[in-house]
Amino acid sequence: MRHVRGFDIIRPLSVGMLVLMMLPLVFLPLLSIFVFGMRNGLDKFWAALMAPEAVFALKLSMATSFWATVFNVVFGLFASYVLSRYNFWGRNALIVTISLPTAIPTAVAGFALLLLWGPYGTLGRFLAPHGISVMFTAGAIILANVFVTFPLAFGVIKPVFDTMSRSLEEASATIGATRWQTFWYVTLPSLRGAIVSGALLTFARAVGEFGSTILVSGNLAGRTQTAPLYIFAKFNEGQIEAANAIAIVLALFSFLIFSVLFFARDWLDVD
Amino acid sequence: MSTEEDTLKAKQKLIEEQKQKTPTSDPTLPTATSVVGISKRFGKTSVLENISFDVAEGEALVLLGASGSGKTTILRIIAGLEQPYTGHIILHGRDVTELPARERGVGVIFQSYALFPKMTVEKNIGYGLRIRRRRRKEIKETVNELLSLVQLEEHRKKYPSQLSGGQQQRVAIARTLAYKPEVLLFDEPFGALDTQTRTHLRREIRALLRKVNVPAIFITHDQEEALELGDRVAVINKGHIEQIGTPFEIYNQPATEYVATFLGAANILDGVARDSFLEIGSARLPLPEQPKYNSGECVKIVFRPEDVSLSKTEFVKPGNHKLSPAVVEEISFVGAYERVRLQLGKGSDSSCLTDEAALLTTQAPESYSAKSIIATRPKPEAAATRLHVGDRVVVSITSFTILSPKQARQ
Repeated sequence: MRHVRGFDIIRPLSVGMLVLMMLPLVFLPLLSIFVFGMRNGLDKFWAALMAPEAVFALKLSMATSFWATVFNVVFGLFASYVLSRYNFWGRNALIVTISLPTAIPTAVAGFALLLLWGPYGTLGRFLAPHGISVMFTAGAIILANVFVTFPLAFGVIKPVFDTMSRSLEEASATIGATRWQTFWYVTLPSLRGAIVSGALLTFARAVGEFGSTILVSGNLAGRTQTAPLYIFAKFNEGQIEAANAIAIVLALFSFLIFSVLFFARDWLDVD
Repeated sequence: MSTEEDTLKAKQKLIEEQKQKTPTSDPTLPTATSVVGISKRFGKTSVLENISFDVAEGEALVLLGASGSGKTTILRIIAGLEQPYTGHIILHGRDVTELPARERGVGVIFQSYALFPKMTVEKNIGYGLRIRRRRRKEIKETVNELLSLVQLEEHRKKYPSQLSGGQQQRVAIARTLAYKPEVLLFDEPFGALDTQTRTHLRREIRALLRKVNVPAIFITHDQEEALELGDRVAVINKGHIEQIGTPFEIYNQPATEYVATFLGAANILDGVARDSFLEIGSARLPLPEQPKYNSGECVKIVFRPEDVSLSKTEFVKPGNHKLSPAVVEEISFVGAYERVRLQLGKGSDSSCLTDEAALLTTQAPESYSAKSIIATRPKPEAAATRLHVGDRVVVSITSFTILSPKQARQ
């Protein structure tokens, strides 16, 4: 039997309205980055991109984000394991504490780190006389990235741990596997999808981090200036082309990560 | 030093004693698994009390009990996934009580099968050998053998989610057989399957176990499954073993009222033992030679609905024991047979007081409460003598079992 139905006016209307709404919100701003960036031709764009400070800023962003991601995945796994496998007093308080940074303004996060580790900070002032400074280094940027993004990896990995059947691990144990073998061969493969999404989310978020980074890094061009800080600095100096070139790279980069997240999820979760 | 030896000797002695208490079905077969005096508590609640049984080489033992009876805990203790409060687990003469699960060499087939979802059928089966760091060639050969044993050769590259429930179960069994387990433990193996597949798989597993000759312990709450699967059945109730025996013994000679009623329908009547007979109301049934009962001792008799014979006349078939007149209360057709509910005549049931109460009363009182029993009749018999509600019949029984409170308590 063929189902014949009349033309439904509501459908194209509502779809059209949604597209119209997204135009000024997302499409047009993003489009303008590319339009402005390419206005003076590809070679100008390339020259702006290849400026030593710009290259350094991009590299620093990638490196600090990478290490923050590595840390977050390893400790996100550990935290998820502990908090979903063991029941202890104060467990929920710990879960809330770990997730708290999502709700904290990033500038506050950066300020808090500065107050702790800065040269006159609670801990920092004991380190400063020994020539150890935590703030205004690449390490400080990683620290800020971890602080801000840790709940992301944790938030993706822990639910998978929670829903994972205990009998898989028990079966592995009765078959003769050590705890480590069970984790490596049974638990970890089931977490593959969650680990990849957690890592990508962390990385994307860390690359774009601004509020906390600007406070803890010192924003020294060629030393502690990340890509978003570079955009901000160049914009303030009136060098719109320089800012725009990096903006294009960061925008393309987030498209890439987002597409991987979007299209790879099915592939990653294949049973 | 000597104290250590002493405890070892004491342990051996305890084990020997317990073995004598619960003989295996075939004493010529060596014992594969012994559970000796296991008890378990969760906090203050005791979930298992002094559980002891043996499983012989190649034998299938079924632990039958309602949910919450503690049967799953027994299985988990044998597997090493749970620690007992007291007692020992002996696998082929080796006391494994203190060993972690991975060092016991026990094969557990979980209710959900617990196949590793990211591994193919092959990888699942080879897992036990891979973690034992066996040579690649050896693993391949063993996996091939097992794949053909469980007839899953063409599914070797599939993932568990692509298999049916029965196939997944076979993979789970093959996965444990790969490392030659001391004993196989099945946790409600057919719980997740429909009735038809169940019956089919039951026979399949039975045949498979005979082929590989590995002792097995099954857990189930399904009495039909228990009777069909087990060489012996242990009925578990509230953390203790009510009775352990062959399916025939468990069904036909139940030791306790719980066993009698848990395994299918059972009629239970109160009676009093006299010098040479058993008094059930006005009926007199023969008393067996053994065990001896004291005159005046309270007993219960159990008989199955199919042990009941109904007659419209006073004539009772030779060999049957006449019980009482009765009135037909309800007749229902249940497919293969007819089920009749009968109200026994007054005085068909001897009520009996406890010892303390008997001291207070000089006269043995008789209960005159009416009692209902269930009888089943096969089709030909039902067709030969048609019964209607309200008909008066004479009830006799072909066989019965005597339960005494003494026995029930063990």
